[in-house]
Amino acid sequence: MSARAGLMIPTIEASPEEIYDIELEHSLLEANEKLARENRALLDRHGITAIDFMGAIGSGKTTLITRLVERLKDQIGIAVFNGDATTSDDADAIAKQNVPIVQIATVNGCHLDANLVGKALGKIELDDLRLICIENIGNLICPAEFPLGSKARVVVISVTEGPWMVRKHPHMFLGARIVVINKIDLAGAMGVSIEELTRDVHTLKPDIHVIPTSCKTGAGVDELAAALLAI
Amino acid sequence: MHEFSIAAAIVESVQGFAEKQRASRIIEVRLTIGEFTHIEQEQLRFCFEAITKDTVLEGAALEIESSDAAVRCPHCGYAGPPKYWDGALAATSVPTLQCPACGKAAEPAEGHECAIKTVKFAREDDSPVKETAA
Repeated sequence: MSARAGLMIPTIEASPEEIYDIELEHSLLEANEKLARENRALLDRHGITAIDFMGAIGSGKTTLITRLVERLKDQIGIAVFNGDATTSDDADAIAKQNVPIVQIATVNGCHLDANLVGKALGKIELDDLRLICIENIGNLICPAEFPLGSKARVVVISVTEGPWMVRKHPHMFLGARIVVINKIDLAGAMGVSIEELTRDVHTLKPDIHVIPTSCKTGAGVDELAAALLAI
Repeated sequence: MHEFSIAAAIVESVQGFAEKQRASRIIEVRLTIGEFTHIEQEQLRFCFEAITKDTVLEGAALEIESSDAAVRCPHCGYAGPPKYWDGALAATSVPTLQCPACGKAAEPAEGHECAIKTVKFAREDDSPVKETAA
């Protein structure tokens, strides 16, 4: 071995920068959760129950809310917040009911958040209200992590979405108080079993109130209205 | 894609942190994501990479640790791991809120977090770089 082996010893150069590793423990959902708590406190002060309706595009959220408003508007003060990515089609359909309605456009967002709902709460007179139906964006994947300040969540699925909606999107159902299985008048044509969908929901959480409905025949809508008033 | 909102929240939070710490670049952000959340790691990485361009976070590694779910049962007092559902059409088995002991509805106890645990960053040293002997 030659003496040149000594040259193999690596030279350590001083780094021009120091490296630090610092614990942050910062919750990324906390900002939204804080605003959701503020929304909830404001609603509680006015004795208002807000319900967050979630479900896929075409599950029938808008029609279901319209039917609920028809049934309840003469009994209690009711308002609707309508989340829609770009259009006001949904809001227009409910507007015919002559109840306060706020369109919340998220532009490119795929979920409502507590900040948007807080702004909507600032746009209406809260004093005479008892119930606010918040129609979330048509999306079964996103809104679960973003509480709005509502007292309960209703997840709306329909038999036309096929037999696997609960198995495909289980996380969405874990936070639900009520699950509506809509369009049951089409269950036979679709070959979808309402009992199996119900069993899937209860596999995830046994105390979820499952209500089969049809906005066409009116089946189940009174039960849903009563369940919302009891929250 | 709520992963985009999460990625945006990471950038906002770490940018503020970097400014306070006089960080010149962020090397690594380590997250903890609970099993009960529905946050898709690959989508989050994709969003993170896209949204960190031209920021102090550009090129930073995103390390994701998942934290286990746990439930407690108000009916029988059970506390521990949840019952998993293998019948779900998901990539992994899904934690449920059915009590593994009595079968009634349990409550989530752990596994809901989505948080930045640590941030590794570099700070330019004020002292001049020493020349190493040739």
